[in-house]
Amino acid sequence: MPEIKVTPLGAGQDVGRSCILVSIGGKNIMLDCGMHMGYNDDRRFPDFSYITQNGRLTEFLDCVIISHFHLDHCGALPYMSEMVGYDGPIYMTHPTKAICPILLEDFRKITVDKKGETNFFTAQMIKDCMKKVVPLNLHQTVQVDEELEIKAYYAGHVLGAAMVQIKVGLESVVYTGDYNMTPDRHLGAAWIDKCRPDILISESTYATTIRDSKRCRERDFLKKVHETVERGGKVLIPVFALGRAQELCILLETFWERMNLKAPIYFSTGLTEKANNYYKLFITWTNQKIRKTFVQRNMFEFKHIKAFDRSYADNPGPMVVFATPGMLHAGQSLHIFKKWAGNEKNMVIMPGYCVQGTVGHKILNGQKKLEMEGRSTLDVKLQVEYMSFSAHADAKGIMQLIRMAEPRNMLLVHGEAKKMEFLKDKIEQEFNISCFMPANGETTTIVTNPNVPVDISLNLLKREMALGGPLPDSKRPRTMRGTLIMKDNSLRLVSPEQALKELGLSEHQLRFTCRVQLHDSHSDSETLGRIYTYLKSALKNYGVQHLPDGTVIVESIVIKVTSSPEEPNLKVILLSWSYQDEELGSFLSTLLKKGLPS
Amino acid sequence: MIESECVLLVQFVTICILHCFQGLHCDSTFFGAMDNLPDQRNVNGESLLQQQPCLLEFISSVCKCKDADHAILSFTLKLTGLLAATEQGFRLLEEEGLLACAFERGGWCAPDLWHEPSVRSGWLQGLLNTLNHRKALEFIRENGLIKVLLHLQNDPSLFVSSLANEVLVNILNFMTSSKMSNSSDAAGSTQCPMGPDWVSVSSEIIRAGVEALGSEKHPQVIQALKMLSLVLSQCGEPIRSMLWKDVLVPLEVLINGGSGSLTLPLMNVLQAAVRTPLLSQSDCKVMELTEAMLCAGNGKDCFQCAVLIVTLEKCPDVLKRKAINIILLPLRCLSTQLQDIAEKELEIVLEKQLSQKSSCISLLLQSLSGITELAHTKYPFEDLQSVTRSVMLLLRICSGHLSSFSPHRISLTHLIGCCKVQRCGLDTLGALSVYKENVDLRHEVFGVLLEYLQNPDSHATVLKKALQAAVRWIDVWSPFPDLLQFISRDLFPALEKRTCDVRWEVRDSTLEFIAQMTAALRGNTGYAEVLHTSGMFSILLSSLADVEGYVRASAVGAVGEAVTSLVQQTELLLASYLEEILSRMMAILSQDTEGFPRRAVVKAFTSWLKGPHPLPALDQSLSSVLSSGGNDFDWEVKIHTLELADVLMEKTLTCCPYAVQISSSPDETHLTQALRKLKDLGLLDLLLNSLFDCDRPVCEKACSLLLKLRTLAVDIDRCDVVLDVCGNRWGDEVGSRYLNKLQAERNLLSIKDISLPDVVRLLDLDSMQRTLTLSSDHVVNSPRSLMEDILLSVQQTEENIVDCY
Repeated sequence: MPEIKVTPLGAGQDVGRSCILVSIGGKNIMLDCGMHMGYNDDRRFPDFSYITQNGRLTEFLDCVIISHFHLDHCGALPYMSEMVGYDGPIYMTHPTKAICPILLEDFRKITVDKKGETNFFTAQMIKDCMKKVVPLNLHQTVQVDEELEIKAYYAGHVLGAAMVQIKVGLESVVYTGDYNMTPDRHLGAAWIDKCRPDILISESTYATTIRDSKRCRERDFLKKVHETVERGGKVLIPVFALGRAQELCILLETFWERMNLKAPIYFSTGLTEKANNYYKLFITWTNQKIRKTFVQRNMFEFKHIKAFDRSYADNPGPMVVFATPGMLHAGQSLHIFKKWAGNEKNMVIMPGYCVQGTVGHKILNGQKKLEMEGRSTLDVKLQVEYMSFSAHADAKGIMQLIRMAEPRNMLLVHGEAKKMEFLKDKIEQEFNISCFMPANGETTTIVTNPNVPVDISLNLLKREMALGGPLPDSKRPRTMRGTLIMKDNSLRLVSPEQALKELGLSEHQLRFTCRVQLHDSHSDSETLGRIYTYLKSALKNYGVQHLPDGTVIVESIVIKVTSSPEEPNLKVILLSWSYQDEELGSFLSTLLKKGLPS
Repeated sequence: MIESECVLLVQFVTICILHCFQGLHCDSTFFGAMDNLPDQRNVNGESLLQQQPCLLEFISSVCKCKDADHAILSFTLKLTGLLAATEQGFRLLEEEGLLACAFERGGWCAPDLWHEPSVRSGWLQGLLNTLNHRKALEFIRENGLIKVLLHLQNDPSLFVSSLANEVLVNILNFMTSSKMSNSSDAAGSTQCPMGPDWVSVSSEIIRAGVEALGSEKHPQVIQALKMLSLVLSQCGEPIRSMLWKDVLVPLEVLINGGSGSLTLPLMNVLQAAVRTPLLSQSDCKVMELTEAMLCAGNGKDCFQCAVLIVTLEKCPDVLKRKAINIILLPLRCLSTQLQDIAEKELEIVLEKQLSQKSSCISLLLQSLSGITELAHTKYPFEDLQSVTRSVMLLLRICSGHLSSFSPHRISLTHLIGCCKVQRCGLDTLGALSVYKENVDLRHEVFGVLLEYLQNPDSHATVLKKALQAAVRWIDVWSPFPDLLQFISRDLFPALEKRTCDVRWEVRDSTLEFIAQMTAALRGNTGYAEVLHTSGMFSILLSSLADVEGYVRASAVGAVGEAVTSLVQQTELLLASYLEEILSRMMAILSQDTEGFPRRAVVKAFTSWLKGPHPLPALDQSLSSVLSSGGNDFDWEVKIHTLELADVLMEKTLTCCPYAVQISSSPDETHLTQALRKLKDLGLLDLLLNSLFDCDRPVCEKACSLLLKLRTLAVDIDRCDVVLDVCGNRWGDEVGSRYLNKLQAERNLLSIKDISLPDVVRLLDLDSMQRTLTLSSDHVVNSPRSLMEDILLSVQQTEENIVDCY
């Protein structure tokens, strides 16, 4: 039986880094190739030696598919392609291909900055890796090779995020990556065909949560910024160059416009322009509202947000500054933080994940005294706020996607085991399908039973009905007999007569013959008469005929008797029957072998 | 990690877990931090346990907790193993009954947790941690844990099964190590005689391995083969020979059975065996088995096997030649040489394989990668040129230039446009350039490469490979005069089109290639002229305005190389361009929105400055480069600018002929002149501003350069260069330090100017350098930081929803 195998090397019962291996129809596909931000040694990358030794990844893998630009989904890609050695195709959407190298470069700079970091990819490696990427369009079927095809769907998690359907023959798998089922300020909701995949591999970050609307979180954010600015304080928002930053910029820009606020908003990174350009370039990937207003005004051309110069940090009065990097571990954001930390009127808003050991992580945990370089201490008096804006589907959204795609099996990844367990039960109960949640390194095998669609001729159906068969009903499977014609890549079941006619073939009959010898002192015709009488009594429900041409006929079975002049008592009984009466023919030959009753 | 800090850390971790492990929510940061702990292999278990008795309570509590979290149990098992790594620690834990509690099956009150792979993994990791002394091994044996380990070898989790193999191999290895003997007599002995108990343990493991090899269950055979490879590569005698003796027969059966899916694990075993002394023992049949691998199987596998055989370091020539013949077979089959082939059976297999697309591709890839491997070792092919020609032929078939060609009526149309084979073939062709004997084929090789470069259907990745191969072959061709004609007549026109390709990947690879070729032909008199007369130089200049940042950066690199080449040969030609080049480079540095082109510009200036032929008019631009580069918002541009400053400083202060001549005798005027020149160029401001940059690597580099300046200018104290404090970023910092010093001297004055020697003195560069070297911006990994983070995360009452980016 054909089977599909799924092995997570990452994201199996965790949210660390996504890397899932799928084997389907003899093809091996890697879904995402993420990095674990929490480690700073080899463990940050998936261990590819579990896939194949000696770095022969190119021979083993048919393709790699990246769902979106976040580093826990694409961060190990240059390592895999340029350091371990993978020369095959890598697929991702156009926006992901454009944005991915910026984030990889951003993180590379942070990482190599740290002392003792080795075994990390270079800027050249990022570029070489991106050259291997084949961009995908939404809803466009891409043929990886003759058998394997992939198709991307909108996932709504970040700009360019995609779910992907992988198909080999009649078997298929859908991988969601990270997705969001509710539209937000700049992105739309995830959507997929009713494609009925054999397995739907879904993220389950918020498997047990019904999240409050993002609008509430946004209101909360604006309120906090506004209050701080009103009391003359400064607001620092550490961000990475892309993603969350653009979302928050739109939010503040609109709010400033509406409230007619005058306090300056700055964006410190030099990448702003490029990043915003990408949002402009890929406007079709944003939501309907942004696309509509684009005609009048491009939402990414900000009126209130200006470029920041480091000297502005000392300016008196309120201001809001977006500064990189996002975890307050280096550069501009840390520099500004040090200047502003001592004033309780100020505020820092952390809008994302912070790695253990970073200043961001420490202040989020409530640390009030930070040891800085040179053993100096920094008192943290400013307000520290954490806001989660991550756009993942909650339990309701996951169920909604299952209803959309109607998978035959579910497989949960990118979530915590306990929460997955809860959702698994819920899915199994509600949809009556199997749900799996393999841990990292565990393989889930699903036996598929691919349905082969066949067209049935109307004549055949009519004939069935004429014979008293029920009306065709898609919910009641039943057996149909006919001739299967495979022609022009399609299958049709027709009556044998129609098949002969269509294919221009003449009918042949297959007959089985058999000889049985028995001793009988009567003449040949008498022996035949005795056979007739015997069969007439033995086979009461069958039509047994004695024909004048010297044959006995039972259904399609013809019986003749001959003998040679040398041995007239040794009778040779010839039996011949057609394929349809094979059982009866065998029965008669066995019966006659036992001899005739005296 | 300092031991005392480690002790404290463990205490905090355990106290935290003890108090809250029941209600602890899964915080990946918290567990990530704990995960770092067992890496500290030098933990003294005994002293740790004596100082921190709460650890015993902790282990016991977790093992007895009915609803313990699997991650905490896993951590506890690892920690227990670590604490039991010393005999004293082991004894203490044993006395408390905690070893049995942790490692015996049924020792925990939550046996269901065994179903969690992370717990099984923790259990195995814990056992592995203990395997440091005889008592640990006794514990494993007496408690029947070998059986559990053998069972876990076939665990559904890849991670668990592989760890189980590792533990078993460690046990086998450990039994023969010196650690097994008593410490008193351990010093002198390298091998430890095995007692009857240990013989039984090793026999049990070996027996299980032999049984698994004979099993009909495929995964079991694979696991056994994996263990066998590990034993052969990690264990010494007598285990290695004992095992080999017992597995020889089942191994022969497997090899002669010829199961394709076992080729790779079987070859891994043989590869490991070849590296051991077993190779030279005829009764061990290592080479016989390897040869059998090559001959057995269904024909298809022997190609894979042949590729693996040629990578063996120690391989008899006869076998290697046989393997090479097989590797070359598919390529020969494409050419007309098949009638020479002795392996007629393979011919049938081959024809069948080659006529089907997927098998044909995989076969050719194996063949090509085998040739590449051999070329890397410079293997002396008997018929090198025909091998090279076969590769070229294949590449021409793939590009569609020889579609009608088919010596054996095998239709090869399915290879046309096949990127996989094209990429691999071009790699192989590039690798074959290492042979000097191939030099006669250069025209043919470039004929094929040109076909690829000119073909509008070539995939971007294929073009990149073609260009990489071309760079290698240019090197082969460079001594011959006809190269220049080829470049100007054939290569440049093809490249010109590629520089205008719609795909940025192609434009970038082309520009990278031109830069590499120009560097490789540096010193070639005619090349610079060809570069100019062919119009290629103008094309490079126009590429500076490409829409893609990566391409602009590569264009900057190519222009940089071209200028170096032109300045060496035809300075006059260059003069007409120079002004434009410098102004465009400066425009990129000051206006480009991406870091790569800006970095490339500074690197180009550095390379021009370093070159033996100074670029006219460069001096005028340097000040702008230093100023723009030093104020860049990408810290790597700043670093490159400081590297430029480094070269400039060295040239100015130490050697002629650049700028200022410093005499060998200490001449105050000359030094002052040199320093004044550096000041005028803005170099001193750059160094001082960078010293107070917000990115640590920039500060560190600036500090090291100031220290270098102090060393180069030995008489800096006597120079009278004065720096303007106002209007500079560094001014505030230095100014306040200066004022503090003056205050200390009770001389309250405001300052405008400070002399350079004063600045250098005030800054206390040595102590700054020490601080900068020690600090790290990225993540603070000290035990103290870890403790603080763990404590705070536990005290945190409000749950922060994990933000998944």
